[in-house]
Amino acid sequence: MSDRNDLMARTSLVALGAFAIMASAITVLVVIPRMLLREVQAMPDLKPYTEQQLRGRAVYIANGCVYCHSQQIRDPAFTTDINRGWGSRATVPEDYVYDRPHLLGTMRTGPDLINVGQRLPSVDWHLIHLYDPRAVVEWSTMPGFPFLFEARQPNEVRPGEKVVAVTGARAPKGVTIVAKPEALALVDYLISLNRQYPVADSLRATDRMAVGGGTHGAGGTHD
Amino acid sequence: MSAPGQPRFGSVDAARGRLTVREVDAVASARGLAPEDLDVRLRADASSRRAVLALFTVAIGWLIVGTIFGDIASIKLHSPDFLTQQAWLTFGRVRTAHLHAVNYGWGTAALIGMSLWLMPRLVHTELKGVRMAIGGAVLFTIGIAVGIVAVLAGVNDGMEWLEAPRWLAGPFLVVGGGLIGLSLFWTVASRKAEHLYVSVWYILGAFIWFPMLYVVGKWPTYSGVESAAANWFFAHNVLGFWLTAMSVGGAYYFIPKVLGRPVYSYQLSVVGFWSLAMFYSLNGMHHLVGGPLPTWMITTSIVASVFMFIPVVATAINLHMTVVGRFGALRYSPTLRFVVIGALAYTAVSLQGSFTALREVNRVTHFTHWTVAHSHVGGYLFVSFIALGAMYYIVPRLVGHEWPSEKLIRWHFNLVLAGIAIYVVALSWAGVAQGLALLDPAIPFQESVRRTLPGLWGRSLGGLILTAGHIVFAYHFWMMLRMPERATRTRPPFHEARPVLYTAEAEAARR
Amino acid sequence: MLPTSLAIAIVTVAMTLVPAVLLFWAWRRGLFRDLEAQSRVIFEPRDWRVERPWESPEDRLARKLAFGPPEAAAPGEWGGADRGGAA
Repeated sequence: MSDRNDLMARTSLVALGAFAIMASAITVLVVIPRMLLREVQAMPDLKPYTEQQLRGRAVYIANGCVYCHSQQIRDPAFTTDINRGWGSRATVPEDYVYDRPHLLGTMRTGPDLINVGQRLPSVDWHLIHLYDPRAVVEWSTMPGFPFLFEARQPNEVRPGEKVVAVTGARAPKGVTIVAKPEALALVDYLISLNRQYPVADSLRATDRMAVGGGTHGAGGTHD
Repeated sequence: MSAPGQPRFGSVDAARGRLTVREVDAVASARGLAPEDLDVRLRADASSRRAVLALFTVAIGWLIVGTIFGDIASIKLHSPDFLTQQAWLTFGRVRTAHLHAVNYGWGTAALIGMSLWLMPRLVHTELKGVRMAIGGAVLFTIGIAVGIVAVLAGVNDGMEWLEAPRWLAGPFLVVGGGLIGLSLFWTVASRKAEHLYVSVWYILGAFIWFPMLYVVGKWPTYSGVESAAANWFFAHNVLGFWLTAMSVGGAYYFIPKVLGRPVYSYQLSVVGFWSLAMFYSLNGMHHLVGGPLPTWMITTSIVASVFMFIPVVATAINLHMTVVGRFGALRYSPTLRFVVIGALAYTAVSLQGSFTALREVNRVTHFTHWTVAHSHVGGYLFVSFIALGAMYYIVPRLVGHEWPSEKLIRWHFNLVLAGIAIYVVALSWAGVAQGLALLDPAIPFQESVRRTLPGLWGRSLGGLILTAGHIVFAYHFWMMLRMPERATRTRPPFHEARPVLYTAEAEAARR
Repeated sequence: MLPTSLAIAIVTVAMTLVPAVLLFWAWRRGLFRDLEAQSRVIFEPRDWRVERPWESPEDRLARKLAFGPPEAAAPGEWGGADRGGAA
């Protein structure tokens, strides 16, 4: 019955081979990097996100901002992200330690945002821009997010609420725009995006492959 | 009660897939075939019929839904004030709904349906665990729907291709997919065929690989850039080891089968399968070229992406040399029209991918619409075309009659081919223009946006034409399902073995 | 400190050696003995014989000699609907 045995052998070969190949790829590209990247620690200048900023980050995720905006600056030897004014240095793994999950992005329909907090630090600007991008950036193709705001009668604004001063031809008439908590949280998150602090011993900068015991700052010599 | 010696193939029972052994044997002997040959194919088709038709119906439904989401998303990119009032219609949610509906709804369901039909045929046995397969298909569909509704409601897990919330949609997807997988593995385990055809490897592989990818992608404890590595490991490999694997498996079957010629070089099939597995699996980081990951990871993926030319050329030689000299067949067989173009697209999109992974090219194309156009050459011109070709072949064999309207087939094909051609050309051009503008810091960002607008309008046009084509196909499919049984009595059912047919006496004898 | 070039070298060697070894093992095991027969497994007798309107007279003759007289295509087999002719 060598035919049956052959068939068994063939099926097992296919199944086991397929499994083994995928398992090794997972090891190489997921498991090993996970072990290496465990050594990555945030720079002292990078603070964990506050509760409000995390809520804002959740709004960013919920509305799919990542599908138009990236959050990474590439090596100046490779390309011109820095020349474009999006950052003063390439971003490194240490910059993303508190990001769960990453929001690196794959499209630049809109500008990169990893340093937008440093570039555009005004809460009011962001609120108007989120309500109606074309009110402040007339060539923008970003959608507005009016559902993050409420249109109220002018006398219905309660104390402590943030009024958004939309002006110009596109401004809504006869109502006052008030920011919802989600909008405020989102802006808080955006303004927190600032990775301009210097990095000394980034994993990326030296391309170390040391596994375990590679704490940053421990004499990371460049090879 | 049929008269003796007057076998009644194509009876009402046959149309419902419940063939009797007596009928089958009688047909076989009338055809001069060994009963077990005929029996096996008919039994295979009869057993998979309900599961496959259910999956195809679901798939086509998602195709319509997904295409409409795609149209909405596309219009928003050049006309951003379109439908902005409602949160659930914002671009960032609709785009994701589109991606899930077309990849996990349409593509996955259609190819699973194809696999459940194909596997019994290839291993010469009935589909085992039919109720598991159908139950699994229902649960899986619910899972996809739950995921999409959640995304539209603003609840998502945050990683591209993996947005469906793991605790909401996950249970349905895992249990449903698991049941379908069990049915398939059980069928393979019951194989009676002497040999394992190459399509079996691809389909078996796909069903082993996808669960592994899902576990990796949905692992709940990632953070930072490791989450990016896991994200793009999943997202790239779900294309190569799930959608591509089943599609290539389908192409290896339908092209030789319709042409009546074996595959050009079976040795190349072996090379193609294993080299695809080895190299594709390491490609994923090419989505992160220049990104904040250890350079060795990205370099590994670029190297693997270039090595991809080995399996791609092997498969290309195999499939194209099988067709060469017989391209006239595309005029006659809708299956071949779609599957051969799909196979050509596979070669093209893979070579395009290898090229795009190179750092020098990537620095122009990364973050642009080029990538989106590339993904549609793969997801549509390759995967969807093969799925459609498979449906054109399989559905008549399951419902017992041919496609009623040759005109609708032609309209479908012409519309979707025109639509995707316009789509890809317009969007690729927009992507390159965008990339070149982004690369030059003297060119302001707004210019990169402005230069994409004509291409984005073109893409919307292409998308609307695709939508029209899909509606035509959905209507035609609905006609196939609903054609009255009367039709099978006046025309011979469309099946491999030309049946011994209804004659006036047999009809009278039945009454 | 692992330079990128070493990573490339390791990966390339692994990607060529491992499959080469496995393929060699499979060949020794005899799994590639009858590959041509494997490529024919999907065909039924009718697939060899059915008339295909795009085939040249030489092709039809070759089929007839190898597999016997041709069978007529079922209506709709090539192209859908009743005509069975050119789309």
